[in-house]
Amino acid sequence: MEEGSAFVGIERPKAPPLPDIDLADALKNPTDADLNRVLEGEGHIPGVIPAQLDRLLNFGASFSFWPLLFGLACCAIEMMSCAGPRWDIARFGMEAMRASPRQADGMIVAGWISLKMAPRVIRLYEQIPDPKWVLVMGSCATSGNIWNTYNVVQGADAIIPVDVYVPGCPPRPEALWQGLELIRDRVKQGKHAYDGLRTIPARVAIGE
Amino acid sequence: MVQANLDELSAALKTVQKELTSKFGKKLLETSTFRGELTLVVAPEDWIAVLTYCRDSETLGFDRLDCLFGNHYPERADQPFEVVANLTSIPNTTRVRIKTRLADGESLPTATGLWPSAGFDERETWEMFGVVFDGHPNLQRLLLISDFQGFPLRKDFPLEGLVGGRIRTDLKGKL
Repeated sequence: MEEGSAFVGIERPKAPPLPDIDLADALKNPTDADLNRVLEGEGHIPGVIPAQLDRLLNFGASFSFWPLLFGLACCAIEMMSCAGPRWDIARFGMEAMRASPRQADGMIVAGWISLKMAPRVIRLYEQIPDPKWVLVMGSCATSGNIWNTYNVVQGADAIIPVDVYVPGCPPRPEALWQGLELIRDRVKQGKHAYDGLRTIPARVAIGE
Repeated sequence: MVQANLDELSAALKTVQKELTSKFGKKLLETSTFRGELTLVVAPEDWIAVLTYCRDSETLGFDRLDCLFGNHYPERADQPFEVVANLTSIPNTTRVRIKTRLADGESLPTATGLWPSAGFDERETWEMFGVVFDGHPNLQRLLLISDFQGFPLRKDFPLEGLVGGRIRTDLKGKL
């Protein structure tokens, strides 16, 4: 826990009183400057919790990243062996591949996405509750690979926001493992590929 | 090219070949063998008659339609398309391949009345080659999205690029 956190109760130098804030007004509509001051530990606005809690939650969440049980093609075989005893991502709390998107923290897009599968991928992505992270595994899901053909989506980032790309055809389980480590870093930092407006590339592209 | 070396056929397949030849005679346009497999070519108008006889004859007993698919030979100007049915007889453990050749735009009667499993095969043959099966109960796209443009396994379909439609246009309203 960092020094200066609101939760540990470490004594910190007493902040000078905020002179001109009407508390009732600030509760309704705090300005950015007020919020920044609160986040830096100077002062207090009723109803506003400093953001250190997010760090604690993200720290915990990074040790139990549960991907969606979702294999699309041959990369899924490597994903399975990564979950198996030899590479054993259970060591990092990632072995619980949830069969329901509602219980998952993210998605490993393991394999090429056909045009017919694309709406299903988007639907599964949308059914995962926030916050969620997407790892794209292999060349096909990254860019379409050699299948620049009539029925292959040229990269998963054409349809959903992507956090981490793992290259390879298929990637070794070690590569997937490193990709999952990068996902864990992003979980710890609380970073997502989607922006605050929850835009999904395919929906933007077709004007919805 | 067409090779008919009937000696390489197994005894059971020789029976099949004799039976079908005696029944249909000149209607069997070609008979060929390859590595012990028997292939017969019939005209489109005899297609259902031959398949029905293969299924219902007690000596032949081809009770199962293994698969049915198409082919495209653009070098044959008059009959570029081919529809192939692979039949299996489970009691006799024999297989036979029946082909028919079609002109561009020519349709073929459906085999769903003989084997219901022909439904998916004919849908796939239609969506990939554009061969229409008359009387098919549900001739729609099977593997591709429903508003796909073109027939991708035809030899003149472009191998690469923005053909048939990409995510940006074809999924409109479906996501």
